[in-house]
Amino acid sequence: METVHQTPAGKSLAGKPVHTRGIDYKRRGEIFSWVHRGVILLGSLTILFIVLAPVAWLVSSSMQTEAEIVSVPPHWIPDQPTLKNFRAIFSAGDEDVTYETRSTQDPSSGNYIPSTARNLLPAMRNSFVVATLVVILNLLVGVPAAYAMAKIRFLGRTGSVYFILTTRVIPDIALVVPFFLVIKNLGLLDNIMSLVITYLAITVPFTVFILIQYFEGLPDELDKAARVDGCSRFQTLTKVYLPLALPSLVAVILFAFLTSWNEFLLALMFTQTAQSQTLPIVLASFTSDFTISFSFINAAGLLAIVPPVIVAIIFERYIVSGLTAGAVKG
Amino acid sequence: MARILFENASKRYPNGFVALENLNLEIKDKEFVVLLGPSGCGKSTTLNMIAGLEEVSEGNLFFDDETVNFTPPHHRDVAMVFQSYALYPHKTVYENIAFGLMMRKHPKDDIDRRVRDAAQRLEITHLLDRRPSQLSGGQRQRVALGRAMVRKPAVFLMDEPLSNLDAALRISMRAEIKELHRSMQTTFVYVTHDQAEALTLADRIVVMRNGLVQQIGTPDEIYEHPANTFVASFLGSPPINYLDGELVVQGDKVTFVRGETRLDFAPERGKKLVGQSGRKVKLGIRAEDVDERAEPSSGEVIAGTVTSVLPVGSDQFLGLKVEGEELFFRINKDLRHNYGDKIKLSANTGRLHVFDADTEASLIG
Repeated sequence: METVHQTPAGKSLAGKPVHTRGIDYKRRGEIFSWVHRGVILLGSLTILFIVLAPVAWLVSSSMQTEAEIVSVPPHWIPDQPTLKNFRAIFSAGDEDVTYETRSTQDPSSGNYIPSTARNLLPAMRNSFVVATLVVILNLLVGVPAAYAMAKIRFLGRTGSVYFILTTRVIPDIALVVPFFLVIKNLGLLDNIMSLVITYLAITVPFTVFILIQYFEGLPDELDKAARVDGCSRFQTLTKVYLPLALPSLVAVILFAFLTSWNEFLLALMFTQTAQSQTLPIVLASFTSDFTISFSFINAAGLLAIVPPVIVAIIFERYIVSGLTAGAVKG
Repeated sequence: MARILFENASKRYPNGFVALENLNLEIKDKEFVVLLGPSGCGKSTTLNMIAGLEEVSEGNLFFDDETVNFTPPHHRDVAMVFQSYALYPHKTVYENIAFGLMMRKHPKDDIDRRVRDAAQRLEITHLLDRRPSQLSGGQRQRVALGRAMVRKPAVFLMDEPLSNLDAALRISMRAEIKELHRSMQTTFVYVTHDQAEALTLADRIVVMRNGLVQQIGTPDEIYEHPANTFVASFLGSPPINYLDGELVVQGDKVTFVRGETRLDFAPERGKKLVGQSGRKVKLGIRAEDVDERAEPSSGEVIAGTVTSVLPVGSDQFLGLKVEGEELFFRINKDLRHNYGDKIKLSANTGRLHVFDADTEASLIG
């Protein structure tokens, strides 16, 4: 008896060409896939260029002399790479530059140093301290707040989430005056703590919001399982949720660090001397000096982007592992 | 050792929703109690209250003689298995199982011994180094069981632990859970909406609906003597059939009448109904409580038209239009019927159920 699985001998159609009206679909498919790849490559290269060109110019010009920077056409690769702009940064401050002595400097030689140059390194330290404190305090406040709002049912929970979000709707510029009054009354003007406090007001809502989203995505039963297994609420957070929330913690750390590192407006209002000025303020001050030295500014600019880049490199692998964690299955 | 006692316990949420009302329930030491009901009936709330994951709004909850209303979960000697397993994704199977013991500061070698014992019993020793994402549903289920087992808790709680498994695995796991209860000699509280699971596993079943207990009893009591139509409908597959009608009593003989259909109750059922002539009732006939004989005697005949024939392998379900209502019966698979046939079945009158037409409470208990 013949079963459905048996094909009569010689009647199999496997491997026989199918009539295609003369169109080579295989060839057509190959062409399409090459065009597809080409378009994606071209698009990627364009975006890469747009993103990287300013950075490349920053790096390149920081190693050029003042004369070379202003030459037309610009040199993407310096004729004579030099590190004296950087040397100038680290040796700044030996000599006061005043209106009278400014002409002893020669802008075109690259030896010209802004009068506030000596503030650069202290400003970098200020920026770093502020950003680090903001990151740490963000985590200390944001993590328990987000856990509570995501996992504990209490009266007014939804209300508090919306309230926190609402604070982000107000533009920073509208807050400058009230902030200034608060900081002044606290006696914190020209103190880096003024920046830490105000940056927290800006970043914590965002931190809480991001973490709430993430915690809500983690199953409630994990929370119950941990507590039945013997964890207190706090231990549940530290031993179960935090390890799982690593990718979102990294996002939060990066956001808080970069926001604090780059912030300009509030820093401009609250800081007056090198004691509290942050990097963006000091960098900006170079452009309003007696004369402008592009080579020096670019060298300082390059130094300014180094810490964020380092932070990004440190945390990059966690971001990638977070994105792929769900996809890896045995 | 753990006896659990609910005393007038209620659960009220801040938005006014009452999840559980006035629960009085004693779960004896080493007993296997199944909380059974549809979703939203309060069974999981009850379980979470035992675990300490939900507060008791009113009333009291005792473990043995101690009130535990406000004892946090980590200070109660309970372990719990969840429907979603709730394994810690970032820990290996070993760490998952060991976690509860580590949190309770057991010595390392003791933890290791217990974890390996449990793994061996559940046949997951080869999986100890894997992470939950690398396991199948059945394996995760075993890890979840292991995590609860190693703790040797006084109370073992299970929240629909088999719901996510496929049918075959579910039945074999039922047997394993029953064996686990036998060997662990501890109190089990098990939540499910699957009546078959409840009937197979339980020493006693608590049937719940809308936060209220409907009936508490052994599987046999619940099945044979349902307290109301809700309990009767919830157990049995296909579900019990109902016919509205009234009682006619003549001397000792109690008859259910609906149109042409007249069913005489067997004497032991009928004697509780004497003196209730004319009462409007709902008759309950379980799907399996009929058979087909050549000549059914009058007083046990259910006559109707076949509306569907559904073979299920071991037997067949027959849809029958009786007095305008469609009833479903389970009959021998060798009987051949076609759509539209007019047939007569004989009811097992010793197993008829009668409920009040309005209150739906059983009249024969």
